[in-house]
Amino acid sequence: MSATLPNAEPHAELDPRLAPPFPKAALPVLRNAQLRKNVAHATDVIQAKRAHLVEEKQDWQQLRAAAAAIRDHVLDHLGDYLEQFETRCTAAGGVVHWATDAAEARAIILRILREEQASEVIKIKTMTSAEIQLNPALEAAGIAASETDLAEIILQLGHEEPSHIVVPSLHLNRAQVREIFARRMDLPQLSDDPRALTAAARTWLRRKFLTVPTAISGANFLIAETGAVAVVESEGNGRMCLTLPRTLITLAGIEKVIPRFADLEVMLQVLARSATGERMNPYTSLWTGVTPGDGPQRFHVVLLDNGRSPILARPTERQTLRCIRCGACQNTCPVYRQTGGHAYGSVYGGPIGAILTPQLMHMEHAQSLPFASSLCGACYEVCPVRINIPEVLIELRAQVVDQQRRRQNRMFDPLYLGMRAASGILASARRFGAAQRLGRIALRPFTRSDGWIHSLPGLGARWTLTRDLRGMPNQSFREWWAQRQEKQP
Amino acid sequence: MNTPASSRTLILQRIREASRNAAPSAYPDLLRAYTHAGLLPAEDRIRLMAERLREYDADVVECAPAHLPAAIAAKLSASGRRRFVAPPGLPADWLTEGFDWLTDHALSIADIESCEGVVTAASAGVADSGTIVLHHTASEGRRILSLLPDWHLCVLHASQVVETLPEYFSRCTQPPTLVTWISGPSATADIEMTRIKGVHGPRFLHIVLVRDDDSDSSPAKPEQSLKVGPNDSR
Repeated sequence: MSATLPNAEPHAELDPRLAPPFPKAALPVLRNAQLRKNVAHATDVIQAKRAHLVEEKQDWQQLRAAAAAIRDHVLDHLGDYLEQFETRCTAAGGVVHWATDAAEARAIILRILREEQASEVIKIKTMTSAEIQLNPALEAAGIAASETDLAEIILQLGHEEPSHIVVPSLHLNRAQVREIFARRMDLPQLSDDPRALTAAARTWLRRKFLTVPTAISGANFLIAETGAVAVVESEGNGRMCLTLPRTLITLAGIEKVIPRFADLEVMLQVLARSATGERMNPYTSLWTGVTPGDGPQRFHVVLLDNGRSPILARPTERQTLRCIRCGACQNTCPVYRQTGGHAYGSVYGGPIGAILTPQLMHMEHAQSLPFASSLCGACYEVCPVRINIPEVLIELRAQVVDQQRRRQNRMFDPLYLGMRAASGILASARRFGAAQRLGRIALRPFTRSDGWIHSLPGLGARWTLTRDLRGMPNQSFREWWAQRQEKQP
Repeated sequence: MNTPASSRTLILQRIREASRNAAPSAYPDLLRAYTHAGLLPAEDRIRLMAERLREYDADVVECAPAHLPAAIAAKLSASGRRRFVAPPGLPADWLTEGFDWLTDHALSIADIESCEGVVTAASAGVADSGTIVLHHTASEGRRILSLLPDWHLCVLHASQVVETLPEYFSRCTQPPTLVTWISGPSATADIEMTRIKGVHGPRFLHIVLVRDDDSDSSPAKPEQSLKVGPNDSR
């Protein structure tokens, strides 16, 4: 068995330009009882831990308000803070690159790797690299990329797709992980005890950490004041990648910047509690450019726009960019909890994905996602930076409907025709009254003696297949009122 | 800069155009109504620190300043390990006899990997989250020292312990260039959310809490500021 097993599969399933619409993608998942059980279990555990820690934190709402204020302030002055970050990071020995889109970011990273003559890289979990589909590009360039986060190793070895932004392998249980590891690491005797599985991953990666001279990371925070970068993690794989290699490339969305070092006093308090239900994650690393004698001596930061800057211009949607990728909205979402992440057709699933993905796609793809929500508001309630996700969902829904309205073939769209008809009827009391009378006559044959309609033919069956419909009353309120006025002149 | 000037200019231009109508907020006016200073008496603050560390499966012992070398020696002996790596600035009396010590004067990765444990100082402790903070000064060592060995003994003085994270940040009069915030041993919950101790970082974290505090004195002295790391001169 080869020592390097790069993920050769392109992430077509999670490419919003190619993925099927949410309702279609969700169907097979809803029939997958094992997956639903795994997702429900994992999200239940994180939610319970988070709820306990949030309750004990007396100033939780104040922390959320401050976190939202800091992130909003950054978005108001994003250009200035990015330039400040660039100046400070460069002064500390880092090299800052700017990428307008995914293709440019991939090209920059490949160019650096070619300059380094790298044949292999180790990676810290970064959803941004999945967003730009970096691994397939590395593979095509003949560079073996090894994921080092346990969840990412599971996905890479099992040719699976990420389904959650914090625990990307959350849809797999221990037996499935054991099967992948036993097969790909050639360990037929491996048990399914998470302890043994974790130990297998430790052994699998140890040599790579000690020998591969190039690493790729994401960033949780870029600090404008000092040019420092912070990465939040649990396992120590992050520290390994940030410390041992000769060269480090950090890929970060332009929105990841915060003004000052001390702002971490807010961000770190809300992030770990929201993400994994811990008071603090085991390891948070912060470094500033290059430190002689400690860690990588060549350091690059790639600042990625890829559809982010246009979001800033929209007053309702710009709050999307406050996101610090904690995944709390996914864990709490009644839709995500049924479907898991894959149905969203994007590396960003769940409520945040439902608003972020179509926007990153300039509203040209993933238009079904804003509708993948019951608008219950649970995501808003848990969001550590108070993104009003339902508000953004409604705004995006309106945009999608406007798009459809502009479409040429709208005259054949039953939804459009139905809405037009409803609009005409509801605009006039006379027409509404006539429609009620007509409906009463038309529905009478289907109304049972208990006053309910249990089944309807044709399109109406879509409703009655899963629920009953109240029969129309014999008299409408308006008719009753008119009758009453006649009696009492 | 390696990027064509156009991409940088284009992104900044897009951002500035998009933010044109944003109401400008001033940094000093940002609402920060959260808890800054802790309220616990000194004794409770130290007790909370130890309690939170233990919740992460870290081992905590307390000792008087005079007994520190003995406390370190006891922990090293109990570990059953012999070969330890030490940062160059570790106080000489912490390098207790009876063990093989490698002091880090540009040791190779292989040398450090060959050690069974590491002893370091710390820059601060945050009781609320059970976090120890390394600024990687000469007594805390390069980042790799507290990473490769499977066993980490960290000496934390009670006077370094604050109750809240904001208190730690207010002690940093100058932002440090390197920081590692450590909250318990390396861990993962990626398989069925079962917390497993010990993935790539040290599996065993031991804290010797030196009671250099006057137990009557109340909250940590805010005037005490922290060293900023190996590049103080920058």
